[in-house]
Amino acid sequence: MRMPRRALAALALVALAATGCSDPASETTTGGPATWAEPTAKLDGVTLTIWAAQNSNTVPKQVIEAFQAATGAKVDVVTIPDPYEQSVQTKVATGDKPDLAFWQPTASMLTALNAKANLQTLDDAPWLDKLTPALRDITGLHDGTRYAALITSPAVEGVYYNKEVFAANGITATPKNFDEMLAAARQLKAKGVTPFFEMGKDRWATQWWVQVQLADAAKAGLWDKINKKQETFTGPVVLDAIKKYKSLIDEGLFNADIKTATFDDQGAALLSGKAAMAVQVNSFFGQLQAKADTATLDSKIGFFPISPTGNVGTFIPDQSNALVAFKTGDAKREAAARQLLAYWMGPGYAGFIADRKTISLQTAVQSPAGVPKALLDVHASLSTSVGSMQALAVANPDLYINLADMIAGTMTPEQVAATTQEQFAQLAKAAGVPGF
Amino acid sequence: MSTVLDHTTGVPAATPPQDSTRATPARARRSSAISRHTHPMWFLVPAFAILFVFFFLPTVFNFVYAFTDWSGFKSQINPVGWDNFTDLAGSGTLFRSLRITIAYAVLVAVFQNLFGFALAVLLERDTRLNHVVRVLFLIPVLMSALAVGYIFQALLKPEGALNGLLSAITGTDVHTAWLGNTNWTIVVVAAIHAWKWMGLSMLIYLAGFKTIPVDLVEAAQIDGASPWRAFWRIRFPLLAPAVTFNVATALLGSMNGFDIVQATTAGGPARTTEILNIFIYRTFGQGLFAQATTMSLILFLLVALLAFPVIRFLRKREEIL
Repeated sequence: MRMPRRALAALALVALAATGCSDPASETTTGGPATWAEPTAKLDGVTLTIWAAQNSNTVPKQVIEAFQAATGAKVDVVTIPDPYEQSVQTKVATGDKPDLAFWQPTASMLTALNAKANLQTLDDAPWLDKLTPALRDITGLHDGTRYAALITSPAVEGVYYNKEVFAANGITATPKNFDEMLAAARQLKAKGVTPFFEMGKDRWATQWWVQVQLADAAKAGLWDKINKKQETFTGPVVLDAIKKYKSLIDEGLFNADIKTATFDDQGAALLSGKAAMAVQVNSFFGQLQAKADTATLDSKIGFFPISPTGNVGTFIPDQSNALVAFKTGDAKREAAARQLLAYWMGPGYAGFIADRKTISLQTAVQSPAGVPKALLDVHASLSTSVGSMQALAVANPDLYINLADMIAGTMTPEQVAATTQEQFAQLAKAAGVPGF
Repeated sequence: MSTVLDHTTGVPAATPPQDSTRATPARARRSSAISRHTHPMWFLVPAFAILFVFFFLPTVFNFVYAFTDWSGFKSQINPVGWDNFTDLAGSGTLFRSLRITIAYAVLVAVFQNLFGFALAVLLERDTRLNHVVRVLFLIPVLMSALAVGYIFQALLKPEGALNGLLSAITGTDVHTAWLGNTNWTIVVVAAIHAWKWMGLSMLIYLAGFKTIPVDLVEAAQIDGASPWRAFWRIRFPLLAPAVTFNVATALLGSMNGFDIVQATTAGGPARTTEILNIFIYRTFGQGLFAQATTMSLILFLLVALLAFPVIRFLRKREEIL
């Protein structure tokens, strides 16, 4: 019976050592200004890899096929499992890089990829002049350098509502500000309709409720102050928004199954009229599109942006809206990756947006027919919208997880604010933000 | 029975009585000389090389990177002294995760040993049926932990198979969210972990029963002990080495748990099952590599610190042999 002791020691050792970590990625740097080849120049024998998430892996299908036919290159789309951002960051940290990847084009998320060391700059990209001027520099920049190519209309946080439910309960105009929205909600509740639907189990949408309440403050420079540590999440501005969210839940304005409801439940509830409103972003509408056709959606689902004092939207470009090109150290493939972007946003753009039935970002390219009305409203709200936490803060803490914990009853609003601030400071410090 | 003490450490030697009565020192010396001849030490080199590269080296790096500001946000790695440790000590999240980790490990250790022990007792006799059933219970041990987790996650969903079965039996609609309760989900997940590994505990308990000399039990019976009494007073105490191994491996092994929790709840609901490795995974994914490394170093030290008293205590239990 000496074996167990030795085996035990070995096993303990194995178990302990399993917590070890690997070597960091070595870095590749390519000097000199980037050149942009003709979008349809021949690329026979070149293979490019694009990383995409489960909700973006079908986005490039049409444009890739056209690019392959035009250039002879081969393009592989590799789906990286969710949580996408986490998986990609981990891979990149260990030196595993694709040629291109879908990526949230905000400064905080470009920092998270160590853009300066890992990404190609797109400052002199040939398609920039073709973009609608208001959208050209809305995102994709970090420290004044462009790293991301915006391909579709960035998402906006706002209220998706069921038009039929509104009409049936005597609400004829969409609310003009947050308080009007709450008045409408109470009116609906009195008539036995669930005013708002939230997905506590899938968590990520919980943060929209706090962010839309901060829209006016964001316009006045809230995130700048938070970035400079002049303001914090525990300060009254953010904390009051969190408390307000909690008080609305306590008041019973949300679905009864808020703790266990999922993203899918939310879509089904709004479409069926079980709930009247949901504060959400574009990917929510994507889910509705999978459940119903455009005609049904146009007649049933509407969108209005909301902020405390008006109808200001909060824009949050997400991972499916943009691509980044990596410095892989292989000059030929790096040039080919740039060429693919130039094709995508150049000769391939009309075909791409027609295939995706999405709104054109370029003045010279018409949006295809059949874009749902709600999406046009979302796009229209962009020009007056303000940046979200993700777009304007230097770091992106897990506010949504903390809020979901608050909904589940394990955290108070004060704890949500304190935990978020703590993590924000930790991330800002790691990113080398002055003052943290 | 006397306890053989190891003179160098003062710890009871691991040799159980049945061995010490059989092997004389001279014979032991001769057999070790033979084994050295047929199994030269350099045979260890390939195994040790792998161990070195994949276990010792990362562990050493674990100590190094914990004292740096390594992150996904910049290229340089600078030493920062104890910064990461002081930051973590000031954070409630780490201690919360540590508490959950220990609760989880204790639950797994209890369940896995109860299940394994019960199975070993039930399947002890060497019948053909028992042989087949033992293999069946060993299959989960060989299965991928993630697969086990995903299967249970699907079974335990509110609209999953378990509720379907319960609905059919009771005739009412059952919609229990088995993995949705902030108090009890950790118990359910620990039970799943224990279910996966109970076959291994069973095997070790079975082996433990096999080493107990039949004449001891016979002697007890002749002395008039009831089967119940003979079991608990004679056979169970003699199982002490197997208990040591099973409890220690289950406890310390599940401290390093990740896969089953990740597949079933990913730390939810409301982070009540967020054991330290899930927290580390989340932190690492955010690009805070040094902080994640520091946490894994803390886990390493915690497991090491816990291992000594636990194993010492369990060894003490064996002294009655």
